[in-house]
Formats: sequence, structure tokens, C-alpha cells
Amino acid sequence: MKLRLLLLGAAGVASAAQAQPVSPANPDPTGATVIAIPVLATSRNLETPSGSTWTVANQMTEVIAGDLRSTTRFIVADVKSLRIPSFPEVTAPTYSEWSGVGAKALLTGFVEARSDGRLMIGCYVYDVRQQRELARAGFLVAPADWRRAAHKCADVAYSGVTGNGAMFDSRVAYIAQSGAASAPMKRIAVMDLDGSKLTYVTTGTTLAITPRWSPKTRRLAYTSFEGGEPHVVVVDLASGKEQSLLPGGTSFAPAFAPDGQSLALSVSVNGNTDIYAVNSDGTGLRRLTTSPAIDTEPEFSPDGRHVVFSSDRSGSQQLYVMSADGTGQRRISFGPGEYGAPAWSEDGKRIAFTNINGGSMRIGTMNVDGTDQDILTAGPYDSQPTWGPSSDHVMFERKNFGTGHTSLFITAVDRPDPHPVATPQDGSDPSWIGREQ
Amino acid sequence: MRRAFLIALTISCLIGSGSADAQIWPLRRYGSAAAKGAAAIPANPQASLVATAGTDTIYFARRGIALDPRIIPTLSAEARWLIANPTMTARIEGYSDQQDTRSYAVAIGEERAAAVRDFLVLHGVAPDRLKVVSWGKERPGTVPQGATAGAAGARVVTVVSDSGGPPLLGRR
Repeated sequence: MKLRLLLLGAAGVASAAQAQPVSPANPDPTGATVIAIPVLATSRNLETPSGSTWTVANQMTEVIAGDLRSTTRFIVADVKSLRIPSFPEVTAPTYSEWSGVGAKALLTGFVEARSDGRLMIGCYVYDVRQQRELARAGFLVAPADWRRAAHKCADVAYSGVTGNGAMFDSRVAYIAQSGAASAPMKRIAVMDLDGSKLTYVTTGTTLAITPRWSPKTRRLAYTSFEGGEPHVVVVDLASGKEQSLLPGGTSFAPAFAPDGQSLALSVSVNGNTDIYAVNSDGTGLRRLTTSPAIDTEPEFSPDGRHVVFSSDRSGSQQLYVMSADGTGQRRISFGPGEYGAPAWSEDGKRIAFTNINGGSMRIGTMNVDGTDQDILTAGPYDSQPTWGPSSDHVMFERKNFGTGHTSLFITAVDRPDPHPVATPQDGSDPSWIGREQ
Repeated sequence: MRRAFLIALTISCLIGSGSADAQIWPLRRYGSAAAKGAAAIPANPQASLVATAGTDTIYFARRGIALDPRIIPTLSAEARWLIANPTMTARIEGYSDQQDTRSYAVAIGEERAAAVRDFLVLHGVAPDRLKVVSWGKERPGTVPQGATAGAAGARVVTVVSDSGGPPLLGRR
């Protein structure tokens, strides 16, 4: 899908360029901002293949509000009693109306049908109290892609107000689980963060685990049990073409390097598991760790220069960091219990992990040198964290021992608020990534 | 090396147990008198193995990779059965309990299965008849073991099947 970004001048006057976030309106990272999101305007209600521009505007408004409501950072103001802003008011809001319903922030926008069949969509975010614009962005999209434009608008508000990276225009790969608990069917599913555009990548005839996105979301690496032996497979999502990376051996725990050219993974030889790197076409296998203990769960730093992994070389499973060539291995986890399933944040500053202590599995984060550890969740079975593109939320799997079901959860990192991510079946093993711009 | 230590421990346990089997079987290979005297190929190999060894599943402590001395007689019997049934091959399937992270679970399942494979090889089963695989934590155990259900996960299951290889001398 092509989504062109526009620089918006006065409403509707557009040229290709970047969105321009301004300084955050709410520097208090723990505060929730009340935001008013009136229905997007449309100057002429024209029919499109996805419904009239008025219908699209209403649907987009609901999606934007749903996105922002799903985080602790926003409270969406009730604006039903207020009139819908006119088209000119999109860029010249009457601030007193919005402060009257308690809103500190305002998101306005428009949906226009163009003669070339595309929609032009603009979004503007304002600080109501200071009466100034915080951010704006515009998009040219096919009418069928209005939902993605809505996520981008929500991201404009999210970044504009919080100062953090975008979050909602993102993809999630996970394991969809069904069938008997003792021998579940596990297949890979991919979806947008809000659960839309869900498709299955594997058929479910063979067990699949640990999907990991390539950069630009074009490929997935995962571990397949086809043939009865775990091995890493890379699948191209557009063509569906699959390649077994290292045929004839046991390999698992793949992770793409940020440049997409190579992967780190685990290879087991005679029961001993070490971390290797391999080119994404399966050539150039090179060994990164040599300990007689288990070395697994490699994940790259966003600059590709380092790898975090777990190892039980000390006698218990702990986290280690090394250079991408395997040199300079050092332990970073020293808290109580065991540590596994590390994940490096997109901004490079923090590492999320599963801490296993006292019979409970919990999600936490720490600095990349192991300091400032923070446990986010209560357990008893929270595991497999993955960072979102905004580096301020973590998604993970949670098993409910009462129901026996496992599902995806998401939480803010600074103010933990674990809540479910809706999936059609049980979900586990998430990999979350921002979409290509 | 932990594995070398394990094997040494295993042998010492065997000898220490004073079992006649243990002293007879450690280094005997198939093709021995016992193998030649083997009965016909069992119709249900897995049931036959279980009948001989008592079980096809051995359990491990949480995070454990060491063979529990109490299961040595079971593994010795598995080795005997495999030697007595030389057309059979075995998948040594390692499993992890649910409180392991997902890929670590695959790794430790592999390590447990390799420990069992090493025992069987040491006791006379040809390595090329044994295939080590791991299911990680993807196939939760259904047999409760100990106080908690989670403990059922850390296990190794020996799954035997007829390799369909060439018939042996004496096979009807």
C-alpha cells in the first residue's frame, strides 16, 4: 500500500513532505491528556468505493479515538454536545469551545475525495490552553486505506502530545493458538495493532513459534517444527515463498539484524545450543558464542552493533550483551531469579525481559547495562515481551491459569496498565514493529 | 563439561546400584546373543517398549539436565529393548516445563534429550538409530508429576518405530 505524506498549509493545500511534530504539550510523562476528537470535516460529501467521504470521516474519527483511548496517555473528551467543526475551523479552531469540555488537546482533520480517486486526509493537533498547533500531517491514500491514515492521525496526536515515537501505525506478528491444550495448533498470524488486517502466514498443519519481523515488515523469520525438528524458516510475506535457513539441523530463536541482511539464531549441536549469525539467504554461517551451556534468545540493538541474549553459563539463566561479532560478552542481569526472552527497545535505551522468580514470570525492563531494573507486571505467567515502535509500550503474552487461555497484553512502561490486545483465538509470542513509512 | 560429568555420574550410579543388568549391559552391542534371540518384531513397538521399561517417559527437575539416579533402571531397560529390537529407531524427544521462556525451552529440551541419547549410546545402542529432537514447551505434559502440573513438562520421551530396515538373521 502506498501512503503519501503531505505537508499541509491552509486546509487542503498540500505538497509532498514530512509531518512536523512540535514540542510536547504535556511534558509530564505520567499525566493523561484530555483530548477532544470531533468528527473529521468534509467540504463536499462525495461517494468513494469505501463509502461517502462523510462516512469515512466518521469511521476514521472512531478509529483515532479508539487508538488513543487504548493508552493511559489520553482521555477522550465527550464532544457529542458540541457542533461538528466546519471545514475552515479544522485549521482555525475556536479554542474556547474545546476548553469548555475540559480538553487540553484537540485533534481536527478533514477527508476530501480527489478527482484521481484518492482521498486527501489531513490531521491537526492543537494545545487548547496555549492555543497553538502541536503537529500536523496529511496523507494521500486509496479510499480502502482510510484505516491506516486514521492510525497515522492517531500517531500525530500521540507523538505531538507525548513527545514519544509513533505507535498505532504498526504491525504485530504472533502465534494464534487453538485446539487441545496438550497438543495445540499454533500458526503465525499478522495484524495491525488494532486487530484489523489479520491474516495467517502458516497453515497450522505444522507447529510454528517465535515469529520475528524483518525491517520494513516484508519478511518474517520463525521456528517451524515441520518434519519433527525445530528449524528456522524465512517467509516473504508478499509472495508467500518460504526458505529453510539451515536445512538438516536444529535451529531456532531467529532475530533479524536491523539492516535485514543477516539474522542471529540458535543452533543446537549434540545438545549444546549456541548463537550463530547467518546471512538472510542462509549463507555465511558464523558462530558467535562457544560456551558449553545454553546460549539463546538473541535480539539486536536497533543500531545493529550489539546483541542481547540469555545464557545459563553461570548456572542459572541470565541476560548477556555482546558485540554483533560475538566479542565482549558480559552479563547484565543480577537481580533475583532468572532472566530470559530479552528485547531491545527501538530507541536503544532499555531492554525488556521475562523475570522468573518465586514461581512467577513477570515482565520488566532495565537499562542496557543492567541498571535501573523495573518490574512492570504481576505475573504469574507473563513472558515474551516485544517493544512497540514508540519505545514506551511493551506487548507480551499472559497465561490465565484459571481459564487456561493465553492472550496478548500490552502495557505502558512508565505507568504499567496491562490490558488485552484482542485476537480471534489464543495469542502468544508477539513481535511488534512500526510500519514502513 | 557438564555432560561428561553426567555420564560419569550415571555410570557410577549404575555400578553402585548393584543391579545385575547394569553390570551386564553397559557395553553390549546389538548383534549379541540376546539380540539374535529376540522375538519377532513387536506389532506395537511403543507398547512393547513400555512393557519392558515400565514407561517411555523420564522426568527432570525444573531446569534440570541431570539424569535422576532413580530412572537409570528405566533407561537401562530402554537400551536393552533397543538392542533386542535392532530394526527399531527411536526419536528421543525432549520437553521443557511451562515456566521456561520459549526458546530457552527448546534449548533445554534438546539438552535433556541429548543426555538420554548419550546414556543409550553408552549402553550399546548405535547412535545412528537415535534422533534427538526438542518440543520445547509446545507440548505441555498431561501426566501430573509431583505436586504441581508444571513439573510434568520437564521430560524426555523415547518414541520408537520400525525403521523398515533390512531383516535380520533369524527374523521370520
